[in-house]
Amino acid sequence: MSVVEGKTAGAGDPILVVRELYRHFGGIKAVNGVSLEVGRREIAGLIGPNGSGKSTLFSLVSGTVAPDRGQIRFDGHEIGGRKAHAIARLGLARTFQIPAMFDNMSVTENLLAAAAEGHWQGARDRAAETLALLTLDHVADNRASDLSGGQQKLLEFGRVIMRQATLILLDEVTAGVHPNIRKIILEAIARLREHGITFLVIEHDMEMVRNVCDRIIVMDAGRVVASGSFNDIVRNSEVMQTYLGRPQ
Amino acid sequence: MKQRRTGLLLLIGVIIVLALLPMLVNNYWLRIATGALMWAGLACSWNMLGGYAGYINFGHSAFFGLGAYVTALLMGDKLAWPFFATVPAGIVVTALFAIMIGAPTLRLRGAYFAIATWAFAEVLIQFTSVMDFTGGIGGIGLPPFLDERFFYFAMFGAAALTYLITWALFERSRFGLKVKALRDHEPAAEAIGINTSLVKLQTFVLSAVTASVFGAIFAYWVTFINPKSVFGGDITDQMVVMVLLGGLGSLWGPALGGVGLFVVNRVIWMYWGDTAFYIAILGAAIVLVVLFMPNGIAGLFSRDGAKSGAVLDKAVGKVVGDGQGGPN
Repeated sequence: MSVVEGKTAGAGDPILVVRELYRHFGGIKAVNGVSLEVGRREIAGLIGPNGSGKSTLFSLVSGTVAPDRGQIRFDGHEIGGRKAHAIARLGLARTFQIPAMFDNMSVTENLLAAAAEGHWQGARDRAAETLALLTLDHVADNRASDLSGGQQKLLEFGRVIMRQATLILLDEVTAGVHPNIRKIILEAIARLREHGITFLVIEHDMEMVRNVCDRIIVMDAGRVVASGSFNDIVRNSEVMQTYLGRPQ
Repeated sequence: MKQRRTGLLLLIGVIIVLALLPMLVNNYWLRIATGALMWAGLACSWNMLGGYAGYINFGHSAFFGLGAYVTALLMGDKLAWPFFATVPAGIVVTALFAIMIGAPTLRLRGAYFAIATWAFAEVLIQFTSVMDFTGGIGGIGLPPFLDERFFYFAMFGAAALTYLITWALFERSRFGLKVKALRDHEPAAEAIGINTSLVKLQTFVLSAVTASVFGAIFAYWVTFINPKSVFGGDITDQMVVMVLLGGLGSLWGPALGGVGLFVVNRVIWMYWGDTAFYIAILGAAIVLVVLFMPNGIAGLFSRDGAKSGAVLDKAVGKVVGDGQGGPN
């Protein structure tokens, strides 16, 4: 199996279905009745102003945070409230907004750790392939904490690749990185999609959203306010008001 | 490659010297060597959870004491078990206690975990102090067996096995990757499919049963134990300092720290007759390590040198509070 192959690449029913999902932190309604679907092989963009609930939604779907109520269905499994590791083993992988490195481990060990649970066979070869794909081979033995911010984003993306997931959640994976690193990540996303992997991507870079995403989902104040193609979204007055404010 | 071969030759040399030591030194120095091997092994057992998993256990003496008390009770007049049968019994009892204590406390982090484990050791001190069957505060005796070579080789075997297990599990296997991943970023470790609760508990139990083996040998060696002599907080404190001095989260650090500090302790005792000065040396060692050698002695020989100290930062940060404290 190639380094970029996922488990399944079927068509038909959506791979991710979220229904009436709620998560409040005290008085803050971080996610307030979100419903959305992501189709198989799709690259869906999740956009919205800061504080609109995008990252919390990722945490709910990936099991890092438990929902107050609502349903999350991934690849035929009801996963709402399940532990993060159990969800990951079903084939869902994610990155974090701030790169979550295993600081004291080498770059190679970071990749191998991602394969330690369930994907160990051939892990060393796949780690070498992933290092080459992401041009991290020259820092393979360096500690993760010694990498630049952009290289850390690449390494975290590499860990996701090592998981051989069917659905990948990327949280601002190209934010603040050098254009060369951004190009490497975008090419890798395209290759992974060719192998049937689905993406849900949080992104503030509208150029990337337009070029990469098949469909855009817009969140504001913990709710989904619009969904559609990039052109549909930029013509949507509610979305424009969300980003630019209401006219006085 | 050359560095690996040098390391292997050094290791073989150390093993040969240790195997021949009873023929080279008198009983006095053999007792010191036996103690040094015990502390090297105990420090290594503490390092499994404290260094590799980043969970600072201030109650590790509880497991050392459990091993000691199980051996003492089973070898007593009433039961009169042979020593080697008491060791597995101690392992089983300790493992059960470790599961019972670890399952709830490993949900805590940082200072909360440290306090919970410290409290567990204190509970055992109080329990064994008031119960008749443990001999109360006066302690309990064991049948004497005055063969220094036996205890030397028992400690040597236990220490060698401890380091072999640590090397195989934490440095050369997937299990080690999982443990180190959860130490460095627990949510990210969960996100790559690692059941962090289970891995932490496995590490905790392994760390505990290893300490219990040394407790069992220690009890038989000294032929008399009491609550303070095997559950006392100073036993854990010494393990912590030995690991910090030698190198937190490294394979050989605990051996360097354990042997180094114990030999210093004995030499001070030999020349000055008491060990109050040793406490001052422990304090100074902690300050010097934190300031100038955050990766410990082992760090001086590693690729990163002594400059980083990230494992120490992580562990100390967890205890003094870096936003990761409290229940998960």
